[in-house]
Amino acid sequence: MIGYLGRTFVQLVATLVGIVTVVFFLMRAIPGDPAIVMLGDFATESAIAALRERLGLDLPVYQQYLLFMERAITGDLGRSVVTGQPALTEIMSALPWSLSLAVAGLSVAVIVGVPLGILSAIRHGTWIDTTIMLVALIGISFPVFWVGLVAILLLSYHAGLFPALGASVGGSFWVQVHHLILPALVLGLSVAAYIARLTRSAMLEVLGQDYVRVARAMGVPENRINFRLALRNAFIPILAVIGVTFAWALGNAILVEVVFSRPGLGSTILKAILARDYQLVQAGVLILATGVVLINATLNVLYGVIDPRMRSS
Amino acid sequence: MSSSKLRKNTAGDGASRRRFLQMAGVAGAGAVLPLNFAGVRLANAAGGQLRVRFGADISILDPALIFQVENQTIAGHVYNGLVQYDQATNEIIPDLATSWEISADGTVYTFTLHSGVTWHKGYGELTSDDVKFSFDRILDEATGSRYTGQLTGLEAVEAPDPTTVVFRLAEANAGFLHKVCAFNQGWIVSRKAVEEKGEAYKLDPIGTGPFVYDSWIAGNSVRLLANEDYFGGRPHVDEVVFRIIKDETAAAIALEKGEIDIFFGLQQPEVIDRLNATEGMTVLSRDASNTVNLVLNTTMPPLDDVRVRRAMIHALDRQGLIDGFFQGTKGFAHSVLTPTFQEFSDNVPTYDYNPDKARALLEEAGAVGFEFELVTVALNPYDRFPVPMVDDLNAVGIKATMRVIERGAYVQARGSGNVQSCITAVVGPPDPDSPLVTLFSTASFPPGLNTSRYDQVDDLLAAAANELDTEKRKAIYEQILQKTMEDVPVIPIFAERLFLAHSGSVEGLVQNSLFTVLTYPVSLKG
Repeated sequence: MIGYLGRTFVQLVATLVGIVTVVFFLMRAIPGDPAIVMLGDFATESAIAALRERLGLDLPVYQQYLLFMERAITGDLGRSVVTGQPALTEIMSALPWSLSLAVAGLSVAVIVGVPLGILSAIRHGTWIDTTIMLVALIGISFPVFWVGLVAILLLSYHAGLFPALGASVGGSFWVQVHHLILPALVLGLSVAAYIARLTRSAMLEVLGQDYVRVARAMGVPENRINFRLALRNAFIPILAVIGVTFAWALGNAILVEVVFSRPGLGSTILKAILARDYQLVQAGVLILATGVVLINATLNVLYGVIDPRMRSS
Repeated sequence: MSSSKLRKNTAGDGASRRRFLQMAGVAGAGAVLPLNFAGVRLANAAGGQLRVRFGADISILDPALIFQVENQTIAGHVYNGLVQYDQATNEIIPDLATSWEISADGTVYTFTLHSGVTWHKGYGELTSDDVKFSFDRILDEATGSRYTGQLTGLEAVEAPDPTTVVFRLAEANAGFLHKVCAFNQGWIVSRKAVEEKGEAYKLDPIGTGPFVYDSWIAGNSVRLLANEDYFGGRPHVDEVVFRIIKDETAAAIALEKGEIDIFFGLQQPEVIDRLNATEGMTVLSRDASNTVNLVLNTTMPPLDDVRVRRAMIHALDRQGLIDGFFQGTKGFAHSVLTPTFQEFSDNVPTYDYNPDKARALLEEAGAVGFEFELVTVALNPYDRFPVPMVDDLNAVGIKATMRVIERGAYVQARGSGNVQSCITAVVGPPDPDSPLVTLFSTASFPPGLNTSRYDQVDDLLAAAANELDTEKRKAIYEQILQKTMEDVPVIPIFAERLFLAHSGSVEGLVQNSLFTVLTYPVSLKG
């Protein structure tokens, strides 16, 4: 276990250094720099030069990189060029919003998607299967911002069940949960459609295996076949998808964030890129990447729990 | 100064309202106070929380560096200037200065400050030294201010005594009051606060205004509290919360459901229609003080030929764009000044939509089939409305294409001066120099926005600055407008209009033409 944790840690550090390095140089390859964006159209050459010097942008890029790395090791990711706040503080203030949406959305996705997928596989070829798959296809096809607006219109405006704004300003825990339900449903249902289809095909694949046929021939009860044999084996790809989706929801739920007026990591990083706020982008990507690596590490542990064959590797 | 009466009147209104509320408070104290302590909000007759929609987040509230309407809106609540624009008429009226004198040669401006004005959060009393500090730091290159150029010609700011500020100019500038108006570089900051807070000041502003900056939740909201000690009288509401709601449809629903009270930054024609049709909603609209323009680079042939530029303006169906694409939510642009400017004139050369005339002019100039690139920025709607314009140009035999560039890269490309054309809107206060000097003075490139490199009105602009008589000055501005519309280095495409919606609970809101919203006069009713 200690060896495993050690390996995970090395992997984490290597991934983070790699990603931050790529982002560092990519950001500087985009035309326009923070001094130009900040000072606008009327900036004189000398004003731009002065600001560049203050921000350290007058140094050669490799020196900027070394300087950044040196500070990053001590946990100092610099300050946002625009707001003057520590970059990490700004990113960490967006993180809880993204985490709560990702966790709530994925819970909805799993609670809805997995049972529907199982049902669909067990009732393979019946009208139940066809209906579920049709709904899932619709769920995948409709863009999430459209579903979001329709949900606001129907459930918030007409039915009055939820607030139209998916984030409260302060308020008690339950008030915040009330605001979270609608965005979580919209994000969750779009992912649920995907998970349902995947669960179905993974289950069907296992159900077609020889050992299932043998089990069936030996008179093992159908429920036991479905849940002990098929579902357990099907869980590996499902888990992988849930992991990937969680990482995705952390950073890429921008459309949901926009429609439901929620802060989040994705929106923050996008805003930072547009303003050429290098420090903020770097801090944001670093936190996101950390999240992804940690999720992958957790998944690796879970695979072992589900499938003993994967423990040895 | 006659305009100082206006301030007195508004102050008087505030005072009598306060007195009335105090009396009501005394009468109802026994019943009201315990309720209030129990956490139940007082009836909306006084106070309450006002909620305003923002389309984007704030980023920086230091007047030296400020840009973007959301930041400027917050700053407008927190800060004062020496003088200010009347929200309804754009007339310049007193703010922190009770009166001012201009020397006979127009080079010395002496302001007398209100006494007893205090800074927020215990930063002491406002003195003339703070005013001097505020302008000195704009001029100081180390500040990296966006607005240093606005104060060109300002030689010195002096503070002979705590309530007197003297500005010395290199030469007469009849438009100087605009530069010290409560907007951007004109907002006065506290020396003590700026020096104490350093970098943190960018998002921790200390002003003298009607509202005190309380807190910011990134991506979610900004909260301001009423300034109990405001020298113009306490605001009617207790606090204002600005909610960041990017999507306009979501914002409209939130307004209809009562989750917000004021919809700021309303733009989409469909959403405007929807709110207009909803009972209980009020949609306000007003001309903004900017046009959106197609700037032609006159150093690149054949755009150096005035006949080609006239052919292009004749080729564009500008009214069709306004009626069709914008569904009537923009105004026709006679020149780069909109009707909100006191110097506006429509007595200028006009160009109808006339493809035949355009073709004839191109033929005459020998420029049939020249290649033209319309360069624009990847921001809605700037990346979309040029599409029909490119079609119009192609229809008269110009090989027109469109290039859309991401914002940061666009600023750089436009600033390089190496593009054939660009879309430019000069958003600023109703100071005629704001668009005219910016677009047409040779001093405005490089750096700046005179990317057409127009050089025919420098002497007229100088004459306007030196003319202290208002009527004569207006006449010079009219000449500038006529000359620039004759030469069309810049094609005004449409005049911006501003829309603002509010629910029935809002009273007293005045829409301005500055792209901001100020809630000081607003009260909430039950």
